Amino acid sequence: MLDVEELKGKFLNLEFDTKEFKLDADKVVMVAKMSGETLPQFTDPNHPDFQAPPAFIASLAAGRNLPIEFPKLGGIPMDGGKAVTCIHPVKVGEPLTGRTHLHDIYDKTGRSGRMVFLVSRMEIFDASGTHLATSDSRMVIREKPAK
Amino acid sequence: MSVKTIADVEFGAELEPFQPDTSLAATAPFAEAVGWGRGGRFNDHERAKKEGLPGALVPGIMAMGFLTSMIHRWSPVAKVEHIDTVFRAPLLADQPCTINAVVTDIETEEGLVQLDLTVKNSADETRVFGTANVRLPVA
Repeated sequence: MLDVEELKGKFLNLEFDTKEFKLDADKVVMVAKMSGETLPQFTDPNHPDFQAPPAFIASLAAGRNLPIEFPKLGGIPMDGGKAVTCIHPVKVGEPLTGRTHLHDIYDKTGRSGRMVFLVSRMEIFDASGTHLATSDSRMVIREKPAK
Repeated sequence: MSVKTIADVEFGAELEPFQPDTSLAATAPFAEAVGWGRGGRFNDHERAKKEGLPGALVPGIMAMGFLTSMIHRWSPVAKVEHIDTVFRAPLLADQPCTINAVVTDIETEEGLVQLDLTVKNSADETRVFGTANVRLPVA
C-alpha cells in the first residue's frame, strides 16, 4: 500500500522533467475545430491573437509521468482529469518549455477500496521565461485489494 | 443572448446547452492531432473493444474542449482563465452527449464568473464534470 504522507515528503514540488515544445498550427486548429470552437483566435492561424485552446495545452505531455525514483504503483492507473490555468496566450510556432513536478498526492477510500490521486503539474514558459500556462494531470490509481 | 460584459450575467443562469459532435469523424482527427492516434481507442469501435473498452471513446481532453467552446459561444469575449475537468466515466464516441453549465458565482467588480460544468450522455449520466473561472469585461 502506498504511504501518501511518505510520498508527499519525498516527491512533492521537485521538478522531474523538462521538455521543449513548438506547437503546430494545423494540429491546434484541428483540436479547436473538432471541439466545436468558433472563435477565430483558436481556429484561424492568420488571426493576430492565434493561440492554443486549453484542451490543446492539456494535451502537452511531459517526457515521463512520474519521477524516476517513484515506487511502483501496484494498481490500475486511470486518467482522472485535467485542469488548465491560462495566464498569457500560448502562441503557436514559438519555442516553449514545460517544467513538470508532482503538485499533490492524496487518497480517498470508498466502497470499492482506496484510490490514490497523483497530480502532476506542468508549468509552461516561453523563451523569455514568462510563465504562460499551467496544466495539471490527475492520475488515479485504484489499489488492488490485499490478498 | 450573447454575453458582452459582467453586467449581462445572472447568478444561477444556465448557458445554452450544447450538443457537440462526438462522431468518430471528430474524435479520430482530434486524437491524431494530440498524438493519440495510434491504436483504436479513439477511432475504431472494434479495435477499442479488443482493448476491453465498451467502444471507441471521446478523449477526455476533447470534453474539456467542448466545455470551453460552449463558454465561448455564450460569450465570445470571455477569457477562460482556469478550467478543471474530472473524468468520472468514459464518454463513448458516436453517442450523443449534452454539455451544460450554470453560473455559480459572480465577482462583479473583478469581472469574474464561476461556472459549474457537466457533460452527460443520452442516459442523463454525468461522464465529465468540472468548473471554470471566466473573466469578462467589466463595462
